[in-house]
Order: sequence, then structure tokens, then C-alpha cells
Amino acid sequence: MALPRPRLRTVLLVTGAALLARRALQRRIERSPLWPLPALEEPVSGQSGRRSTTTRRLLITERTAPADGVVQLRLEGPDLPAWQPGAHLDLVLPSGLVRQYSLCGDPADPDTYTVATRLVEDGRGGSREVHAQLHEGEEIEIRGPRNRFPLVAEAPAYVFVAGGIGITPILPMLRAVAASGADWRLLYGGRTRASMPFLDEIEKLGAEGRRVTLVPEDESGHPDAAAALTGLAPGTAVYCCGPELLMDAVTAALPADCTLHLERFTAAATSPADSGAFEVELHRTGRTVQVAVGQSILAAVREELPYVSYSCEQGFCGTCQQRVLEGEIDHRDELLTDAERDDSMLICVSRCRGERLVLDL
Amino acid sequence: MSNTQPAAVASERTELKARKVSFAWERTPLHWVPGDPFSTHTMNVLHLLLPAGERWFIHVYRQVLPYIHDEQLRQDVIGFIGQEAVHSQAHDDVLPHLKRLGLDPTPYTAQVDWFFEKLLGDRTLPPGRARTWWLMERVAIIAAIEHYTAFLGDWILNSEALDRKGADPTMLDLLRWHGAEEVEHRSVAFEVFMHVDGGYRRRVRTWGMAFSALLFLWQRGVRFFMENDPSLLGGKASFKAFYDSGKRGTLPSTPALLRSIPRYLSHTYHPSQEGSTAQAIDYLAHSPAALAAEARMTGTH
Repeated sequence: MALPRPRLRTVLLVTGAALLARRALQRRIERSPLWPLPALEEPVSGQSGRRSTTTRRLLITERTAPADGVVQLRLEGPDLPAWQPGAHLDLVLPSGLVRQYSLCGDPADPDTYTVATRLVEDGRGGSREVHAQLHEGEEIEIRGPRNRFPLVAEAPAYVFVAGGIGITPILPMLRAVAASGADWRLLYGGRTRASMPFLDEIEKLGAEGRRVTLVPEDESGHPDAAAALTGLAPGTAVYCCGPELLMDAVTAALPADCTLHLERFTAAATSPADSGAFEVELHRTGRTVQVAVGQSILAAVREELPYVSYSCEQGFCGTCQQRVLEGEIDHRDELLTDAERDDSMLICVSRCRGERLVLDL
Repeated sequence: MSNTQPAAVASERTELKARKVSFAWERTPLHWVPGDPFSTHTMNVLHLLLPAGERWFIHVYRQVLPYIHDEQLRQDVIGFIGQEAVHSQAHDDVLPHLKRLGLDPTPYTAQVDWFFEKLLGDRTLPPGRARTWWLMERVAIIAAIEHYTAFLGDWILNSEALDRKGADPTMLDLLRWHGAEEVEHRSVAFEVFMHVDGGYRRRVRTWGMAFSALLFLWQRGVRFFMENDPSLLGGKASFKAFYDSGKRGTLPSTPALLRSIPRYLSHTYHPSQEGSTAQAIDYLAHSPAALAAEARMTGTH
């Protein structure tokens, strides 16, 4: 059967329409080359604050010695992220060791980070490397800054307790509270006056009203945390950074109506064995598991939920991240942002500060 | 139709673990293959596709874990997930640098995000057959995509033309570290697919989907970069440019790409037949990023 021949007019119309459509399409694509695929309303790619695989190379523009055995480095680079008092940097040392140092410069000083470190001869090698190998004109890789020790705004009063080099995160806080006119006090202990950095500036900041108590060990023994924490106004924010013994003393002497903020540099330094046992409630599963000393939460959870996701078991891949509904988290990973740390954790390395965590699992 | 199981080459197997790499991007220029914006941008498309794509792999593989009853394969999948997570993050971390150089990728990556999170996302399916079908379909798509990531990984490890041209060492290290890990784990996605489903019709169908989607997204990404590159006037992407770059060796060659198609569709295909684990491990033993990662792990733990 022969097909009916299409009439010339129909052929012309169809061809014309096709040509017009093609031209319209081409114009549309030319105007916006990414048409016509929809976009995710809140893009994910490129928006993450983790930047865990990015390091920055900064130039060491100044090396000074603010006290005996202390080296202060001024690091400069373009477009450095802003920071708040209490923040710290990861320094990737020439040997590949990563160490954390608090920023002790001025947050308003753009494109500059300042850190200070004390030489610990019998330490884990980080400070020795800083003292021996980092000089003016050289480059250093850093990650961060991060802040796990933020200064809360609008506390009725502040008490700072610093031991030795633990003054570094506190110093920018002192400047901030002094500038805001808030009520504050500082208890600052060290071995000798000559070994305690930033004394001049601190005494100037606290010039009026006997705010600063300096306790060099060779003159006046150990700082008395209990005395510093008596008679505080309710709601006083207490900040402490220093040796473990000092932080324990402050924790023990803390009045019930004050808040305590401790800076511990434990993320990369401790193993799961360094903290006690606790229990983890799996909210959605409705079961509770016990996490023993030296055992990871992941290992304990896997006994109940064999398919829970994980991989690196060292706190950097992020595949074991879980939401936390209750409990105080002891973060030991090197991945999550400060915002993510508020309500989630990596269960392969992070632990619990108290006795119980509730996970959304 | 023969029913033989494709054979894995045993010597190509290696234990999989994620490496904690990091890169400093300050010195990487926009055209990191000097004087060759087309090759640069064709490879830059990886930074657009992989952050969302590899996040999606992990999302799917988390769901498929309960279907895997072979302990060794399970361990492989767990290693695979960690490697993909770090890949995704590493490419994601290049995007702010591109933005600083004047080439904001967000309009394109937001579409890729939609593509993987919505179009290929979980969808609201009833539990049971429909949900399982969609999961298996995605597992098969991942196997097909991994055929190409292994192909590209093998290519970048052998792309001497890029060294001769003086390509940026940091970017080259990122691509080769990633390529080497893709070669290392090239069998995992295919073995997962064969373990949980393995249907030949599904393999062909999902290959068609994956190949056309990759082609579509890639050409679009190259055009996007060429047209928005602030240092190029009237930059254009063309198939001819791709073919010529392939001949010069700064991009994969078109004939090699075409030859890889029937291999994946062959009944005797197994990823371990292609590429060399030894070469990948050798690169990782010298890669600056992988070495630094090694030092970091031993240094801090």
C-alpha cells in the first residue's frame, strides 16, 4: 500500500516549526549554558566548612622569644579566615607531625596568625621541632583555625585561670573582655616570672582594680584555684587552660552556679584508653550498650548494629558520623566543623565526657 | 549464553584503607596544564562531579551493606567507602580555590548536587520490591561508573605528557593519588554488583545510563568552564579539541575510550584484568600527599 504523499504545505510547516524550536533552544542555552537541569536549592558541593584536606602555606615573618623557653611565631598569608579568641591552629611540622597551638595574636589583625610554644624537652617532639626548625622567612603548613574554647558573650563576670603556656588562648580573651568593659579576673601561674610570657601586656590590661594575680612558683608556690573561685557572682564564666593538675583543681573548686570552660589539647594526643567507661543509648533501636575503657563507641555499637557505617577508624573519613541527642561529647576527631560538633560526633574516636550519651541510631 | 563467572586476577587484590591526605592550593594556577585551558578544564570537571558523586556512592553503599554476606567483600566495601569519602572531600576542597581564581563553580555543582541527591536519591519508595529494585539499579550504575574511574585512574598514572608539559605538581598529585586509589579498589564496585545481583541485562542497561549521563554532564561541565573562564575570550569546547588533546596525551585518547566500552560489556569482564595494582601502590609509595598522610598517622597515634 502506498503511503499518502504529505502535502507540501504540511512539510513546510513542520520544517519551519522545527527550525524555530531549534533556534529558540539555542538562544536559551546561549543565554544560560546550564539550562535545563534543575539545581539543588541549598547546594552542598563546595560549601562544606570542613576543608579537612586543605592546608595553607604561611610565611613565618617574625620569630621572637616573649619569655624564657617560649618561641612566638608570626605567620602571614593572603585571605586568612577570621577567628575568635580561644581558637587554635593545626601546625603541620616539617616532619609531618601535627600539633595544635592556640592563637594568641589580635583577631582584628588581618592576614596574620600568631602562635607561641614552650619547649618541652621530654615532650612528644612537636615543640622541639618548632624551636629547632622554624625560622623567619620559612614556610609552614597549617590547618584551621578551629575553636573549641569559645568565649561566651554576656556572662556577668569572667574568671580566667592559666598555667604556663596555657595563657596563649586566654590572652586574646583578656583583650576582648577588657575592651568590652566586662568584670574579669585572672589567676596566672608559672615557674618563674622570666618564663611567663605576656606579663607586661597582662599587667597593663589589669592595671585598674587588682584583676590579675600572678603566681610564679619560685616566689609564691602553686596558684590557689579554690581561693580564686570563691565569692563569684552567679553565672560567672570560668576559663581554664594549663596543666592537667591545675584543670582538675579548678574543676573541683568550681561553684555550682558558674560555668566551666576547659581547653584540652587531646584530639590527636590521646588514645581511647585515656578515658573511662560510659554507656551509650541507641535511641531508635531502643537499646543501651556499655563502652569499656579502651573500647571505641563504634566497637560497642557494632555488637548491636553490625551494619553501622564506618571506615578509617581514625577520625578523618567521617563515614561513622552520628547524631547525638544527649550527653557531653569528648571530640577527638580532626574532621568535623565546630557547628557539626554541636550535635554530632565520629563514633570511631570520640568519646563521652560524662557517663552517658544518647545517639540517634 | 555462557554462564561462567568472570574471574578475578588474584594478584591484583590489595587491602583497602583510606589515606589522610591534604593539599595546599595557593600556588596552583587556573590553567594548571600550562597554555592548555581545554585539557585543564576537561580534568577540572572532576572537581564538579566527584564531590556529589562520591558522596552518593557512600550513601548507596551504606544501604547495600546488609546485602553483603561475604566477609572479605564486606571489608573491601568498608575500605572503599572511606577512600571515596576522602576523595569526595579532597575534590570538594578544590572548589573554593577555583572560586578565588575567578571561576565560581556553584551554578554547575548545584545542578550536580540535584542530579545525585534528587534524581538518583532514595525517592519515597515503599519498602519491598520497588525499593530493592532501585537500590540494585544504583549499585549497578556505580559499577559502571567505577569502570570509567579505573580507566581514568590508569590513564592519569601513565600520563607522561602532563609531566612534560609542566602541569602543576599539587594538582597532578591529587589526581594521581585519587587515580591510584581508584585502581586499587577498581574491583570492589563490580564485585558488589555481581554479589547482590549480577544480571547481565541490568549491567548493559545501567552501563548505557551511566555512560550517557557521564557524557552529558562532562561535556556540559567543560562548556561551562570554557565559557566562564575569566581569562578566555569566547572559550569554546569541542569534540575535535578533545580528540586532538587525546592524541597529544594531555587527555585520554578517544580510541582507547571507545575500546573500553565492549570490555565492560563482555561476559568475561572483571576489573582486575585492567590496570595494575602494583603501579598504583608504587605511586602511593611516592606521592607527596600520601607520604605526608603516612607521617601524620604514625606521628600522632
